[in-house]
Amino acid sequence: MSVRFENVSFRYPGSTAGVFDIDLEIATGELLAVIGPSGSGKSTLLKLLAGFAVPDAGRILVDGRDVTDLEPHERALGVVFQSYALFPHMSLWRNVAYPLKVRGTPKAERRQRALDALARVGLAEFAERAPTSLSGGQQQRVALARALVFSPRALLLDEPLSALDAALRHGMRDEILRVQRGAGIATLHVTHDQEEALSMGDRVAVMHAGRLIQVAAPRELYDRPASRTVAAFVGHANLWDGEVRAPGRVVTRLGELACDTAGFEPGGRTCVLVRPEQVVPLAELPGAARPNVFYGRISEDRFLGAVRRCDLEVGSGLVRIETNIRTAIAAVSIPPEAIRLLPPDPTALHTGSLS
Amino acid sequence: MTRTPGTSRKSGRAIPLAGRGVRLAFALPAAVIFAVFFLLPLLSVVREAADDHGAAFGRVLADPVFWRGVRGSLVLGTLAPAFSVLVGFLVALNLARLSERARAVALFAISLPLTFSGLVIAYGFILVFGRSGFVTLLLAKLGADPAVVGGFIFTPMGLGLAYSYYLIPRVVLVMLPVLTNFDRAQIAAARSLGANSFTAHLDILVPQVMPALITAFCLTAAVAIGAYGTALALVGTQVNILPLVLYSKISDAGSDFPAAAAISLLLMGLCCAVVGAAELIRARRAA
Repeated sequence: MSVRFENVSFRYPGSTAGVFDIDLEIATGELLAVIGPSGSGKSTLLKLLAGFAVPDAGRILVDGRDVTDLEPHERALGVVFQSYALFPHMSLWRNVAYPLKVRGTPKAERRQRALDALARVGLAEFAERAPTSLSGGQQQRVALARALVFSPRALLLDEPLSALDAALRHGMRDEILRVQRGAGIATLHVTHDQEEALSMGDRVAVMHAGRLIQVAAPRELYDRPASRTVAAFVGHANLWDGEVRAPGRVVTRLGELACDTAGFEPGGRTCVLVRPEQVVPLAELPGAARPNVFYGRISEDRFLGAVRRCDLEVGSGLVRIETNIRTAIAAVSIPPEAIRLLPPDPTALHTGSLS
Repeated sequence: MTRTPGTSRKSGRAIPLAGRGVRLAFALPAAVIFAVFFLLPLLSVVREAADDHGAAFGRVLADPVFWRGVRGSLVLGTLAPAFSVLVGFLVALNLARLSERARAVALFAISLPLTFSGLVIAYGFILVFGRSGFVTLLLAKLGADPAVVGGFIFTPMGLGLAYSYYLIPRVVLVMLPVLTNFDRAQIAAARSLGANSFTAHLDILVPQVMPALITAFCLTAAVAIGAYGTALALVGTQVNILPLVLYSKISDAGSDFPAAAAISLLLMGLCCAVVGAAELIRARRAA
């Protein structure tokens, strides 16, 4: 029950958009979340797997079987669409039983299996109702039951939670995970919500301009992003261009930072990543000079309930802070172990005036 | 002085967008046109038919030519709309997938036949498919007998085909908005769930657009039953349909105006029955 993309490329006719050189494997029972900005190709990836687009090059394998040229209905994949795509003219159980009907399952059996599937998502008592009488979250669960009732080879989720309001979305994440774990099948989950990807994915694939730029476990992706693009897209980030002055020392717009520079030669350019929640806010400047402490002025201060998100202007630079302290902030300390050096952004202009 | 809450408060009400007077003023032009161009002529036709205590109805109903006309009209009014609905549905299905711009252009071209009079269409068909028509002569070069090919449009079948020429655009105009608004993700879902493209459309799309299909059928049936210009120009009075029976009553042969009035009323009743039946079926499906 695994899914594999081998060197898959696809370009939309008459445009430069598409996906390029995709090599990706989803193991049995694994949930792989794909994130990326809109137009990055994540939905195209799902279309290619579902059979709604045929790659220009490469192969797609499901359970080791080449499905590249199969029609969508021959692939036996369960797809949950962003709009749920429930059939409004059928009752819930008929919706769920539809994949069994087209497979020629006898009516009594398909009704029973549909009712069982609805029971698994907690909607057994609504079996005779019409889809339009349900809330968004309930429709979502019906779509999930319908996609899984025929024991598909893989599950494809196309932004399944984007139409729900925030409060419902969190509950549905757990619900989808529970059902997916129960079915134990390879799952491709396309989303633009990075928090959803990090919380649900066994691994997360980040796409940018039609290419996979990193595939890693959520913690790995957050703590050790491969590039500035990944760091900027996954979570909030302080990203400063810098130059390695000497081993253990990097110069940025803020000033000099002490940190681990292993892997970077003195004189080389780099990009400094610090997550806002790892910045330590200080109420006043410490008496004795300490490394990585910067004095500045709060330019933005946003209270978000559990966290407070503020921007500290330091010289010509800006430090984003996430904290739960509510007192005034006059300075910040950046622990050396919170600093991660990334390869310099090839597209960023080198200003030459870093200090 | 104290006020008791609730006694002095005015009850809330919604403010209509337009007052009663304004609404009546807007309805007036339509009411006048309806009265002058529909109700008045209809009344005079009813009076004409009721002349001589309705003896005209007896004459008409006893006439075998009238009954052959009813049968011909019902056959034509069923087959031509059925063919048109099938073709128009497929055309609309394809148009619905086009970009908005391409759809506007295609729709303009498709609506053109509606602006032609039935007479013009008949002559167009004669010029193209008639005994010395362009297509007939072209097919003759391939060995087809021009007498057979050229004779086709003068048969009831040929007449049905000519009717389809202006019935199909009507079907497209009814179906297109419905198909454009249809959520295509449902078809994608059905296909991913195991239905091939044809089954997916049959199981998912067709039941949902059935009310519009019924409307399109009845609208075109009413048009086909009532039309007479095309029929007269193409087949003269060789084919027995109600509008031509009616025509024969007020032209060459005789001028039995009370009978013509009676036939008009019966023809109108037939069209109303078709449209009414459609509304009934639609209402029952919606319930």
